[in-house]
Amino acid sequence: MTDVSAWADPADSTVYVPGPGNSTLADLLERILDKGVVIAGDIKIDLLDIELLTIRLRLFIASVDTAKKAGIDWWETDPAMSSRAARDALTQENEMLRERLAALESRLDDASGTAPGPSPTTTPTPTKSSTENHAR
Amino acid sequence: MSSSDTGTVTYLFALCAGRPPDGALAAVAGHSGGGPLRTLAAGAVHLVVQDVPAADFGERALTDRLNRPEELRRCALAHHRGVAAAAPCGPVVPLPMATVYLSDGNAVSAVASREEAVLAVFRRLDGRTEWAVKVHAAAPEAAAGAAGSGSAGTGGPGTAVPGGRGYLSRASARQRMRRDRHETARAVARTVDLTLRRYAVDATAHRPQSEHLTGRRAPQLLNAAYLVDDARRAEFTAALDRLRADGRLREVEITSSGPWIPYSFARLGEQVPAAATTAAAGAAGTGAP
Repeated sequence: MTDVSAWADPADSTVYVPGPGNSTLADLLERILDKGVVIAGDIKIDLLDIELLTIRLRLFIASVDTAKKAGIDWWETDPAMSSRAARDALTQENEMLRERLAALESRLDDASGTAPGPSPTTTPTPTKSSTENHAR
Repeated sequence: MSSSDTGTVTYLFALCAGRPPDGALAAVAGHSGGGPLRTLAAGAVHLVVQDVPAADFGERALTDRLNRPEELRRCALAHHRGVAAAAPCGPVVPLPMATVYLSDGNAVSAVASREEAVLAVFRRLDGRTEWAVKVHAAAPEAAAGAAGSGSAGTGGPGTAVPGGRGYLSRASARQRMRRDRHETARAVARTVDLTLRRYAVDATAHRPQSEHLTGRRAPQLLNAAYLVDDARRAEFTAALDRLRADGRLREVEITSSGPWIPYSFARLGEQVPAAATTAAAGAAGTGAP
């Protein structure tokens, strides 16, 4: 029952390497985010709570698995997918979704005549905020 | 090599006592967009580093990326690969993820000023690996089944008493049973921890993971890490197997992974005498840090 396969070949791999979709990824994060020798680097990072990060990561992995089952696996075909490419793809998708949302909202407004509640003019301009979200 | 004019910064993965061969390091994929893994020397300590794009590893960029799940996952795995690359060459002291310096010089001087402390950690970790062990309360149905078969013949909550009074007594019996089961599970988790500590040089407890994180319906009672001598690894894993097979421990489910690079035990300036290990054992399993 103990995971002996990870060290079956001592010449090759002497340490445990969690798989990308493995639940032990949470264990890895626990260890590399707040453990280890404390020698401060020059760059300070400001992370969300580790538990929260890990939960989000778990949800992400679950959604990747779901997408894989549905045959959507473009990131698998590009293992070296650069952060640039990911950013561009996200920006594009974000813009597309915002456009669709804006279109749906205006159709809703048209359908209900005078829009109740907050004025539609408060809707943020889609292109501006989407680039801000993913510019860095 | 890193400098502002090349647009790269120095990412530090780990410190090691032996110098890993360049070929072995070059074969390891570090962070994407970075150069090949290489080593620097600070006295007797070797640093495993990589030149990475300053644009991706600045404060804003790094914070933003690590707060995004897919980037966090890729960075974590890249970091682990870099640390693991150094492992075959003697004791390794991993750095926390995202330890980044503006130049090689800064990295070397940061390590050099703590050389003695780092060497002490090398001595403590030499020939040892880390094992992760989690204890969960068994899923309610499984534990109920186990309790039922264990207490055959007694008039349990299943005994039929008709009417409202019967319902109330059954409900309170169920509640009592749940409470008892939880207490028992906690005690069992402590037993597991105490047993495993006998085969370990040191032990530490991570914060128990929430049910939201584990995706289990049952609470995590122990999230421990053990530092185990390579010479006693077989004894340790055999002890784990015995605990799993032990019929008296049905209230819990034990999972483990390892051997890990001793991430949880690579703290500078931490002296853990053998006596302290046993003294701390009483507090384990409660989730207290």
